[in-house]
Parts: sequence; C-alpha cells; structure tokens
Amino acid sequence: MLHNTKCECGHQNPVGTVLCESCGKPLDDEFGTAPLEMRYDGIARRSQRENPALIDRVWRFFSSVKVAIILIFITLCASIVGTIYPQENTFLNVDPSVYYETTYGFTGQIYYLLGLSNTYSSWWYKLLLIMIGASLIICSLDRVLPLYRALNKQQIRKHMSFLIRQRVVYQGVLPSTRVSAVSFINDLVPVLKRRGYRVHTDGTALLAEKHRFSRWGPYINHIGLIIFLLAVLMRGLPGWYMDQYTGFLEGVPVQIENTPYYLENEQFTVEYYKEEELPSEFRGQGRAVPKLFETRAILYECLADCSSTDPVLMQVHQQNIEVNKPLKYKDLLAYQFDFRETIQIRTVNVSITNKKSNESFGPFELNTISPKETYVVDPYVLTLKDYYPEFALNDKGMPFTNSKSPLAPAFIFLIQGPDLAEEGEVFIYFPRNVDKQRFSQDKLNEAVVNKIDIGVSSMEDVGISQFTSFLNIRMDRALPYIFAGGMIFMIGVIMGIYWQHRRIWIRIDHENEITIGAHTSKNWFGIRKELSVVLGKAGIVVEPKQLENGVKQS
Amino acid sequence: MNLEQWSENALLVAFILYNISFILYVIAIAGKKWSNRDPIVHLRRWSRIAITLTAIGLVSQITYFITRWFAAGHVPTSNMFEFMTFLSMAIVAAFLVLFAIYHISALGLFAMPVSIVLIAYAAVFPKEVQPLIPALQSYWLYIHVTTAALGEAFFAVGFAAGLMYLLSTIDYSSTAKESRKARLGIEITIYSIIVVIGFVLVTNGFKSTDYAAQFTQELQQKDEQSGELVTVTKTTDYKLPPFIKPANSTVERMDPFLGMEQPLISAPSWMKGMDSGRKLNTILWSLIVGLILYWLVRLIVRKPLGAGLQKIMGGIDAEDLDEISYRAIAIGYPIFALGALIFAMIWAHEAWGRFWGWDPKETWALITFLFYTVYLHLRLSRGWQGSKSSWLSVLGFLVVMFTLIGVNLVIAGLHSYAGV
Ligand code: HEM
Repeated sequence: MLHNTKCECGHQNPVGTVLCESCGKPLDDEFGTAPLEMRYDGIARRSQRENPALIDRVWRFFSSVKVAIILIFITLCASIVGTIYPQENTFLNVDPSVYYETTYGFTGQIYYLLGLSNTYSSWWYKLLLIMIGASLIICSLDRVLPLYRALNKQQIRKHMSFLIRQRVVYQGVLPSTRVSAVSFINDLVPVLKRRGYRVHTDGTALLAEKHRFSRWGPYINHIGLIIFLLAVLMRGLPGWYMDQYTGFLEGVPVQIENTPYYLENEQFTVEYYKEEELPSEFRGQGRAVPKLFETRAILYECLADCSSTDPVLMQVHQQNIEVNKPLKYKDLLAYQFDFRETIQIRTVNVSITNKKSNESFGPFELNTISPKETYVVDPYVLTLKDYYPEFALNDKGMPFTNSKSPLAPAFIFLIQGPDLAEEGEVFIYFPRNVDKQRFSQDKLNEAVVNKIDIGVSSMEDVGISQFTSFLNIRMDRALPYIFAGGMIFMIGVIMGIYWQHRRIWIRIDHENEITIGAHTSKNWFGIRKELSVVLGKAGIVVEPKQLENGVKQS
Repeated sequence: MNLEQWSENALLVAFILYNISFILYVIAIAGKKWSNRDPIVHLRRWSRIAITLTAIGLVSQITYFITRWFAAGHVPTSNMFEFMTFLSMAIVAAFLVLFAIYHISALGLFAMPVSIVLIAYAAVFPKEVQPLIPALQSYWLYIHVTTAALGEAFFAVGFAAGLMYLLSTIDYSSTAKESRKARLGIEITIYSIIVVIGFVLVTNGFKSTDYAAQFTQELQQKDEQSGELVTVTKTTDYKLPPFIKPANSTVERMDPFLGMEQPLISAPSWMKGMDSGRKLNTILWSLIVGLILYWLVRLIVRKPLGAGLQKIMGGIDAEDLDEISYRAIAIGYPIFALGALIFAMIWAHEAWGRFWGWDPKETWALITFLFYTVYLHLRLSRGWQGSKSSWLSVLGFLVVMFTLIGVNLVIAGLHSYAGV
C-alpha cells in the first residue's frame, strides 16, 4: 500500500500518521464522523512501519498495549496460583516432596510436581517479569519521542474536521455582532490565562493548553518500573544480596561471614506485658505476651588477624536493635529475629592461692570462648594444656567436649611456681560448682590440692551471658534502587492521574461562525465544565453536558 | 463513661446516621417521581439533607477513631474490627470527595450501603482494644494500613458507580443473550452483597443467644522438636448451629437447634486446615440466609432486584456514572500503590527484614494492583468504556474484598488478623 502522506495544508507526514501533524486533519478516514482517536495525537510510531523485518516484528510485539495487558494479566493469574498453597520458602526444615502430599493430598502433590510451590522464583515467572520490562522499555521508546515532537509543533488553526470530531465540541455564532472575531479571541485570552492555560493566538484562531507535563506521567512511571525491575534482577548478582541468620551469645563478638565485620551482642533484654496491661480476655491465662526484644549491639571492623581467635577489632558502630529498628551500618542491616535463653559462663576472674602461705595472686580473667595459651600471674605461670567447653567423660573415662558452647567448661593447666615441681604440675579447674562436684575436681587434683587452689572470691567475679540473640543479617545493595524506582513510579503516576493535559482549540470562520474543540487526557466532565464557564464569561451560555459530542445543542 | 465507651457510642451514632442518610438518598432519588413536586427542587432539597447527615456521621466516626486512638494508645487499625471500621470511614470520605467533584448524590444510594455493611461486618469481630506484638508496633504499619484502606475506599466508590452504571444501562425488556447474561451477573452481584448481610445477621444473632457446640478432632501433626508425626486432639468451638462438623470429629456437646440434635454432615476429609470445618459451616449459613433474604425481597418487589433498583434510580446519566467510576478508580490507584505496595515494602523492610516476602496478603495486594493496572490500560483502548469497564470495577472490588477478608478466611499468613 502506498500512501500519499502529504496533507492538504502542505505538511509532509511520516507513514502511519493518523492525524496530520500540523493541522490535525484526519488522514485515513477523512469523511468519518465518529470522535477521533486522539492518543499520541495520531502520530506515526516506529511500530507502525510497513513491511516489518524481524526486529520490527519484535518491536511491534512489545510495543503493543494489548500484549502488555495480556502479559500483566498472565502475571496476575500466576500470582494467584502461587497463593493457593504455602510456598516452599515459608518452611524451614521440611521436605517439600512429602510435605505437599501429606498435607494437601493429591492436589498438593500436583502443585508440587508442577513447580508451583516455587512460583515466584520459577524461571517462567521471572521470564514474565522480564517480558513486561522489555515491553515497558519498548512501548515507552516507541511513543515518547513522537509524542514529544507532536506536542512541540502544534498548529494553532486546526482543520475543521479535527475540531468537530473531538469529544468536546461547540459550534455557534458570536454572541454579539458588535465585537469582531479578532477581539472576541483576544478577550478570551485573559479568561483562559486566569485558569492556568497557556494561550496562543493566530488571528481568528486560538489554542489554549495546560498541564502538558501530565502527559509525561506514564513514561516517568514506566521508567520507575524499569528501574525497579532491573534492581530486582540485580539482586541475583553475587555481592549484591545477603540474607543469613546468626546467633549472638551475649558478650562474644562473632564474625559476620564474608565481611570484615564482627558484631557483639553486649546485652539482650526481653520484656513482657504486665498482667494489668493486657485486655481482660488475655488475663489469667498465664500467657506471656512479649512487649520488647532488644539487643544492645556493637559493630566492629576487623583490622588484622581476622578469623583468628584474636582478631584486631575497631568499634565502628553501636546501636540498640529492636524489632522495628534494625542496626544500620553502610549496606549492612541486622534485624532482631529471635532469642533463646542460653545461660553460660563467659568469663571468670580467678585468683590463684598458695595454700601453704595462704597468699592469693591475681585475679586474672579466664575467657570461656577463647582462652589464652598462657597466663602469667607472678610468681606463677599457667599454661593451658587443654580446654573443654562442655566437659564430659566417655565410657573409657577419657575426657572430651560435647560442643563448642561453654556449658560445662573445664580448663587443664600446667602450673609452674613456688612450692611446685620444677616441670610444673597439672591442675584441672571447673568454674561451675556443679561441675566441680560432678567430676570431683578435688580428686582429679589430688596431687596438688594441698599446695594450690584456683577460684573466685564472689559471684561478682563470674560473667554470665543469659541470652543468645538471633539476628537476621542482611545486605541488599539493590534496595536504594528499588525504592528509587518506586518513588519515580509514584511521581509519574501522580503526574499523569491527578493532573490532566487539557487543550482547547477555537477558530472563527466567516467573521462570526465559531467552532470549538477540546481534548483532555482524562476527566471529560471537568473540561466540559471549565469550557462552559469560560464561554459563559464570553457571553455564550451553554450547559456543560451540551458540549459533549453527539449531545444536542438546543 | 470512659474514653473507650465514648468511642463506641460515637461509632454507633455514625452507624445510625449513615443508615438514615441512606434512606434519605432513597427518598431523594426515588421521590423525584412522586406527585405534586418539582423533581429538581425535590432532589436538591433531599440531597442536601442526606449529604449533611452523611458528613455529620463521618465527623462522628472520626471522633470514634480519635478517641479510640487515645484510649488504646495506638492507631486503631490493628485488628479486623478496627480495620473494617476504618475502611468504612474511608469509603464515606471517598464518596464525599467524589460528590464534591460531581455533585451527584445518587452515588450515596450505593456507596453508603457498602460502608454500612462493612461496619456491621466489623461488629462480628471482637471489639476489645488489644496489645500489639512487637512486629506490629511501627508507625509505618499505620501509614501503610491507612493509606491502603483509603485507596481501597476509592475502589469501593468506583465499584458503587460501576454497579450503578450497569443497573441503569441494562435492558430488562430485551431477551438477547447479552442482556440476559448481564442481568444474571447483576443478580449474582446483588446476592453476594446480601450474603455478607446474611453473615452479619447470623453471627450477631447467634452471638446474642449464646449458642455453642463443641467438637474434638484427632489430628496428625508434626512435632516441632522430634519431627515425628504425633496425634493431637484439638477442640473446635462453634458459635453457629453446625450443619457441617469438622472432618473426622466427634461431638462433645451441642445445643439443639430447631430440633437438630446432630450435625447433618461432616466436612470432607481433605479439609484439614485449621478450623476449615467451622469456616465452611459459617459460609453455608451465610449462603442460606442470604438466599432467604434475597427471595423475601424479591417476593416483595416481584421482579429481579436489579430491575427494582433500576426503577428507583431512574434518570441518572449513565455516561456520568461511567466517568465517576473511572475517576474514583484513577484517584484510588496511586493511593493504593503507595499504601499497599510502597509503604508496605518500607514497613516489611523495617519489621521483617525484607521488603517483600510473597506472603499471601502481600501477594494479593500485588494482584489487586495488577488488576487495576489492567483496568487503566484497558480504559486507554477503544471499546472498554461503559459496561465492560463497569464489570471490571465490580470484579476489582471483589478482588479487594478477597484480599481483605478472603485471604484470612481461606489462606492464612503473617499479616492475617484472627478470622471468624
Ligand atoms: C506492571 C506494569 C505496568 C504498570 C504498573 C503500568 C502503569 C501505568 C499507568 C499507571 C499508566 C497511566 C494510566 C492512566 O493515566 O490512566 C500507564 C499508561 C500507559 N502504559 Fe503502562 N504500566 C505497566 C506496564 C505497561 C506496559 C508493559 C506497557 C507496554 C505496552 C504499557 C503501556 C502504557 C501506555 C501506552 C500508557 C499510556 C501512555 C499515554 O497515555 O501516553 N504499560 N501505565
């Protein structure tokens, strides 16, 4: 098909143009009467090329709003399907291959086998999002430049059939023969200006336009969505995203994996609602409703000897973590997740006593997490030969440790000093009294028990950690982009929906025949009312409803 | 009187005022055709009274909201009762916004009942002020919930206007397949609304008679520590006479109801979910009572309810309704996106440590958003104005309601408030 795309006004339009870019004359159905399709002002778009090559076809596919709607609709349906049964990621420690069948029976099994138990992380769900993203990019590129051009070179005097085929139309004669056509137009200018219009006149023709920026709303919101989707995809890249749960015993700095950071839970607090703070139905049931969990946290950066038992740490941040108040330091976030009561001895300030002279030396600190190899307590030297955090004896009577947590710590020292054998003597020390009894410390130390003793003088010398606080450590470097995308989306949507691009075209022919067409991107009710008020000021009385194309102007 | 009682009374006043104003809208619209009056003067006079009462009702409900806020020490949107009353308040506000733009009071004929039914629905849930678990103590939560509800309120008004468009354009004399289908659709929509009323009546009715029945159920459950399957006995309390008892359960005790001493049937065995037997029973009750109510009204008006409503409404410009519906949804869309998605992400990020977790409630908010995105894009195409898009506005509100109520009833998740 070959079109002559030159309009009668002399403007050369690109192929695919529906309304002449200059005067607005409908090019494809010149003699129709139905209201015009005014979207993009009838400009030609790349997607309307004739004889498309493959790339044009792809372009055309993704630039179609129809395709976009179908893609969004499929995503909608897929999202619904994903909520039928709980997704796999909602359980810990459950074998999904049996869980769905045992819990939901046959349909559950089908659900699992189809992979619907992982809908949102499935390749096809991601593909849908990628396709929507591609569609967003292409449809926006396809439309925005031509639209910009069309809005930038509007002719003031429009073709007659362009005007009378708008959705808002007025045709009549000048109200008074005393005013000339030109002065009628000029009198309208201040009226329209007061209503926020930018007015351009050309003798007996007028174009008033306002809130053009709202036309860019959809493109801005689509850019926001593109940024959002890209950011979501970015989290798949290594180093962009971390999500792990770690337990922090009070008073023990723990390294956060793959980072130079150590976090210490200095103290954990849990508070419950008091009985009288509860509503009547909760009272008297012995129900503990927690009110506050708080971890007093210190963050260190490791400077040297990282991942050794004695790293060089520098405090970089300190914060109390509560449920809605995560610790924030650079990209790192730590959320309160859970806690457990884990009563353990963490430090003991012990003294060593010479039983003969009854002299005490020390005190010095024993650490149950990472004890030192030697302790020099003049005149004694203690060498740690062995350390069992959770001491136990196997069936052959040999000591071993049950775990790495200091639940029943036992220190085995070789001690050198006054009144002891030259090469030193062995002393076993249990900080906890129960362990002392259970494993009969005195009997184990039979050889030295009359020469020396190690112990604390009061409970104040014992440092106890009560709780382990579980924190969810996260790093999400895409987060700022995700929220920026969301913000841009919102700005675009608000621009496009709460403001409307309104245009009013007026031309006067034969000195007194007045023809008005008006267009708005939304809210036809509003523009009819506005036009009716404006015309009223110019002496033309017309009800808003009568301005609607097709409604009789009685 | 303490603050909490004050607050409840203010809500009651609002509820009564809404009901009266609803009747006044009916008088304003239907009374236009009464004899010896100028229809325009009649409409203007009665509309003004109705709108004034609606506004006073709203002020009263705002009073309820603020006093309860002070009484509870937190914004009252944290359980089902509080949320639903908030939503009903937002709907009245949204209706007044659209009235301010379009000055079409007939909208109240449909917007007010939505709000009224929601307050009645809220009354089914426990009214007590409750303490908050730590995850709920964040002002982002309040911002998220209230903004989302405001967006949903505009969708509700869009639904009301869309339904009115359909009612005023459907041809009740034609026998063409298209209009037969449309008429059926309208009756189903009306019936669904009546079912909700039925639910409210039934639950409140039996609450006042203290009806009770109890069942025990042996369930296989995974022990949390050992991971082995163990048998636990669970009791379920019914507050409605059980037509349906929980699957594999035995009756512990049951008040007789109209000579019914035993449940009629047992829930199918695949319904193993928590309380699913009881929920099924409640749904059945609502459907039955809804059906009775529907036919009662139908016998009185002696025509399909849609036709009756069409007659009352007579003479409203359908194009205006279409535009109001579209406008309401367009106004609601950004508010909803901000509240239900963006603020929700900020809150989830602060509280749960992740901005999105595909929790059913979150996902349904996304589904609602996608639905209205489809609606807006379709509105850009030719042929999707008028009746097709009105159907979408009706369907959209169904999606909203499912997100708010259905998800809790059918699917449970992190966000869910306790269900009935
Ligand atoms: C989830 C994805 C999307 C969202 C949330 C979205 C959102 C929006 C919104 C809010 C508007 C403004 C509507 C109005 O003002 O009534 C809009 C307009 C539009 N959207 Fe989208 N959109 C999405 C995807 C797409 C895609 C994939 C396409 C590709 C064809 C597309 C094409 C358009 C077009 C052509 C407009 C009208 C532009 C104009 O009036 O100048 N949208 N979109």
